[in-house]
Amino acid sequence: MSVINPGVSAPSATRAAARARRREERELEAATTIRIFGIRRRTVALVTGLCILFALFTLVPIAWMLINSTKNQANIFESFGFWFARPFVLLHNFKMLFENVDGDGTYIQWLGNTALYAGLGGIGATALSALGGYGFAHFKFRGSKLAFSLVLAALLVPIAAITLPLYFVYAKVGLINNIWGMILPSMVSPVGVLLMRVYVSGSVPRELIDAARLDGASEPRIFFRLAVPLMVPGLTTVLLLSVVGIWNNYFLPLVIFSKNSMYPLTEGLGLWASHASTSGDQNIYPLLVIGGFVTIIPSIALFLILQRYWRGGALLGSFAN
Amino acid sequence: MSITGTLRTVRGRALRSSDAQRPVEPGHSHTNWVQQRDGRGIWFVVPFVIAFILFTLVPVGYSIYTSLYNTRLIGGTVFSGFQNYTATFQAGAFWSGFIRVIIFGAIQIPIMLAIAFFFATMFDLGIAKWGGAFRTIFFIPFAVPAVVASVMWSFLLEPQFGPFTHFASALGFQGTNFLGTSLIFPTLILIVIWEWTGYNMVILFTALKAVPREVIEAAVLDGASLAKVVLRVKLPLVRPAILVLVFLNAIGALQLFTEPLILQAYAPQSISNNWTPTLYLYNTAIGGQQYNLAAAGAVIFGLVIVVVSLVSLVSRRRRGEFA
Repeated sequence: MSVINPGVSAPSATRAAARARRREERELEAATTIRIFGIRRRTVALVTGLCILFALFTLVPIAWMLINSTKNQANIFESFGFWFARPFVLLHNFKMLFENVDGDGTYIQWLGNTALYAGLGGIGATALSALGGYGFAHFKFRGSKLAFSLVLAALLVPIAAITLPLYFVYAKVGLINNIWGMILPSMVSPVGVLLMRVYVSGSVPRELIDAARLDGASEPRIFFRLAVPLMVPGLTTVLLLSVVGIWNNYFLPLVIFSKNSMYPLTEGLGLWASHASTSGDQNIYPLLVIGGFVTIIPSIALFLILQRYWRGGALLGSFAN
Repeated sequence: MSITGTLRTVRGRALRSSDAQRPVEPGHSHTNWVQQRDGRGIWFVVPFVIAFILFTLVPVGYSIYTSLYNTRLIGGTVFSGFQNYTATFQAGAFWSGFIRVIIFGAIQIPIMLAIAFFFATMFDLGIAKWGGAFRTIFFIPFAVPAVVASVMWSFLLEPQFGPFTHFASALGFQGTNFLGTSLIFPTLILIVIWEWTGYNMVILFTALKAVPREVIEAAVLDGASLAKVVLRVKLPLVRPAILVLVFLNAIGALQLFTEPLILQAYAPQSISNNWTPTLYLYNTAIGGQQYNLAAAGAVIFGLVIVVVSLVSLVSRRRRGEFA
């Protein structure tokens, strides 16, 4: 991306430098705080100890998943939960993700569905937010105030409150068990529109657009060739927010899909969890553990890699969704 | 619409070229020209607005409509006025769920925010070592879907083989059932705290970082102690952020659904079908197929959330946080 468009790489380089500078400042500041207030070593050790405790609390369930995804069902129940046991059946468990073990469905199919819903829904949400945010930031037209107050109103209504109403409409028009019933509402992201409006106002200068117009560029051309490249960091944040939102959504697919073959991962795992105690299949618990573990690996990796896109404001948006 | 748009643009272009030749005040010609062009902006906004109307306004409108009717086996669909609303208001199951999630939020949110604020402050002041690494670790649960988090925790707390159950009995609490009727509430609080503390902490940390250093320096020069700086200087300055988090978490608590539903499979005695308002609505609509009744409930539930959000919006606006 940065090779094609040098305009993007330059700010990211300066951003890296700014980050390094900020880190230095922070370290200096920390040292100063400790000196000024005469904080004892013991206090630092105590606070760090509390941090370690909370980090353990955070990581214990994930470590448990990792360790127990290598065990068979008997060992999940009987062996010590926080250490490995023989036989070591990680590969066997992993293979089961590609099989329909207890007749409820196949993990890999659900993973594919989730990727499809999150991919299409995320791209759609980002596109609609980019267009909308750009429109609201740089244009005034009849009804623009009303349309924007609609966006603000939509912020107040989380998707969970819309889920049942969507179900009633779908039942009427036959959108139950239709993938578009999942994808299309996921494209409505008022938070995305708001974020993009703020982002566009800050990063796509009006004078630039005016100059392009004077050169005779058409409005779509100005948007795609001029504005979109400048909006890339903001678009990435919106894409991440919506992909994660759809990836984690449980209520909507639960309500609108009754065919197991259409389930996303969340719903498939939920189904396994609810059948685990009654299934009687020797592989159901290991499947649940490795399924859960494989589900969280990509999202955790994505978060760690793309950490810098998660700033305070964007995070608040994700919650409201 | 498109024709008038084009016409206006053409006229705009003509106007512009003549403007360029005519020496007028630049500011005036500029604004004039922008207004001529502006009608086109609607095309950027239209896709979102259409999607919003179809997938938010229409469903809400249809729910309100449905909630005013009753479907009977004999006689078909008949208008019933507010009958479904009276039925919902009188249904103890609906309100007991509401009261439960309110109590849930009243306990869980302060505990979580206190933990989050403590760590955010320690990281902000640099008192904890390896603050950056800890911040990343604490944030990890945000990447874990609620379904997976609930499955993980129900394994860990399962009454027969759960490692935490073994741990509790090793500490002398034999027969502890974390998923039993008496402990299910604290267990759910624990799970939600696990899921959301890191997220709240990162937001508070960002807010604390935004406090100008001069303010802190002035307080230090006045001889304020560390506790005073934190509680009297920093805390008031990040109060708006805390307020936002209180409301966001409150709305989250009202919607509590995934965690109790997953845990219900392990603890059917502890979590009823009406345990939270959303569980009640889900089971009324999907399980009971009572669409009209569920629609009335959904409308009431949506209204409660909108009211809470509005209160949040008004209180934020009053603080001049955003226009």
